[in-house]
Amino acid sequence: MVGKTEVNIYIGTTSIYTCLGNKFETLAAMNRGRGGLSFNKQFSMFTGSLEVEMMETYTRFESLMIDQLIEVLSRTNIKLSDPSVQLIISTTKGNVELLEEDVDHPSERTFLYTSAELVAARFSASNPPIVISNACISGVSSFVVARELLLSGRFNHAVVVGCDVLSEFITSGFASFKSISEKPCRPYDAQRDGLSLGEACGAVVLTTDISRAVSPYIRLAGGAITNDANHISAPSRTGDGLFYAIRSAMAEAGLSADDIGFVNSHGTATRYNDEMESKALALSGLNTKPLNSLKGHIGHTLGASGVVETVLAIEQLRQGYIVGTYGFKESDLPHPIAISSGKQKITKACCVKTASGFGGCNAAIVLEGSDSAKLTTENHNILPQKVNVVAKYTLPQSDKAFADYIRVEFKQLGESNLKFYKMSDMSKALYIAVERLLAIEGFSEIEPTRRAIILANRSASIDSDIAHQQIVSQRLPEGPSPAVFVYTLANVSAGEMCIRHKIQGDNTFFIENRDSGLAEDYARLLIARDRADAVICGWCEYLKGEWNVDLKLLKKIYD
Amino acid sequence: MEQLIGELKEHLIEELNLEEITPEDIDSEAPLFRDGLGLDSIDALEIILILEKYYGIKLSNSAEAKPIFYSVKTLAEYIMKNRK
Repeated sequence: MVGKTEVNIYIGTTSIYTCLGNKFETLAAMNRGRGGLSFNKQFSMFTGSLEVEMMETYTRFESLMIDQLIEVLSRTNIKLSDPSVQLIISTTKGNVELLEEDVDHPSERTFLYTSAELVAARFSASNPPIVISNACISGVSSFVVARELLLSGRFNHAVVVGCDVLSEFITSGFASFKSISEKPCRPYDAQRDGLSLGEACGAVVLTTDISRAVSPYIRLAGGAITNDANHISAPSRTGDGLFYAIRSAMAEAGLSADDIGFVNSHGTATRYNDEMESKALALSGLNTKPLNSLKGHIGHTLGASGVVETVLAIEQLRQGYIVGTYGFKESDLPHPIAISSGKQKITKACCVKTASGFGGCNAAIVLEGSDSAKLTTENHNILPQKVNVVAKYTLPQSDKAFADYIRVEFKQLGESNLKFYKMSDMSKALYIAVERLLAIEGFSEIEPTRRAIILANRSASIDSDIAHQQIVSQRLPEGPSPAVFVYTLANVSAGEMCIRHKIQGDNTFFIENRDSGLAEDYARLLIARDRADAVICGWCEYLKGEWNVDLKLLKKIYD
Repeated sequence: MEQLIGELKEHLIEELNLEEITPEDIDSEAPLFRDGLGLDSIDALEIILILEKYYGIKLSNSAEAKPIFYSVKTLAEYIMKNRK
């Protein structure tokens, strides 16, 4: 459990596929100030859609990932069959479009892990893949998780792949939130009226071996995940959560605002997201740094966005100038930020990449270029922290139907939280289990940013996915229900717990096919590396009336 | 109007999952958001769906929605004027 000191994480080979083409085509188009969004008749909105060369026996989603993995792996000697290499997959909805075929009986392939295993098997991967489904921060989250695993010394290399494809499931859900722009989206612009969706895939090799890194060297120097603990869908009004993520990632990297050349933000172009980011950037002292959002060029590509935009940030660091923010003309933000409207030279070789998403989550990573004066060997893990399991709780099984069972459990808590009844069934099960867990030992003495929640399950949010798809398939004139759609992301259940128990630290949701102990393992790493003082961790499964919620509370031992 | 208010309360309870709340518990003139029923931005979107589903009213501008969504009474008045 003791992480190695003197480990650096370098960027190896990278590849992306966006609506503007491959990596160099996308970058060239962006450099020329061109965008790739076009009107999509099927979904009646502007999207960044892909032509996909399908692979026999694989779905569109899987074909894209395999293609990008072939791209990055063919240009390095790092192989997934090597036990020191870990594959990490970032996606929000995977093959969810398969639900359209038979909504009541979701096929095996709609389970994210089934799909991940098929992709891993294609490359004879030695280790089971790690799947992260953390809403719109999934891609950036994957880099944070990869960084922690590499620093722990368990692996020498990680291959991160991020992918999402569009379907009516997704487009109608975002439409129900009234968050889709009438025109191609315009991040940070005074006229912005919502986001544009896109599909994309990207892959990145990360390595601790400099001889495997790609020159000019870029280091993944820091990363952090936080939660607003405020609302499951509305961006924070203060920007605190994103600020904490940026602050923590920069502290990890040992860098200050002066060292940062530019910020590549989330910049979805919804009114409230962009406002929130301007506040967070002001708090971080980064509001004078050149900033761009790539959503106007390629759309919001969900679980792919953090990976694809990070690859493009790496390329911008390498070329020494950044691209503009397509669609941006004039800002009306409460806190002025230095939004780049065209090509712009950068003077410092470091970049901060951020993302924020449903469930109240935020993520930030720091990329450090090789001509940075500070590029030195990292010294972390000054003292490994000791971990104690202070409470355990398993939600009992019952002969009663879930609705009746959970109502009785909730009544026994003797409180009147009207929000409880609005939650998805998985969130309700988790709610009760967390209340009981914290009744054994609470964590009121722990500062909110030092509290974390790390969960895993098999079905992600398929129970809510079925409910949403059933509504979508009815083609109601008024459209689907946002209150159902919001729960079609597994991490939103964790987000509910963050609100309830003021958890503002790490919140990561892993998908596995059985409880391998990954969530607890990762929770222990966070404490061992002094990134959290208390972590709720474990398994949180709910599907079609059956549940399995098995939690632990870990705390740092103070010597 | 009284009948519409009663019906609207039923729809709100049903569509917003306001369990444990009866129509009598909802004060027609009290603010719907924040205090009282503790409704939030997702509930506001659901109320837009209620207007369309039961009263054929399309409302897409959220700035316009604020005064209309103030209370059950203001909602009912808006429906009276605009229902199809």
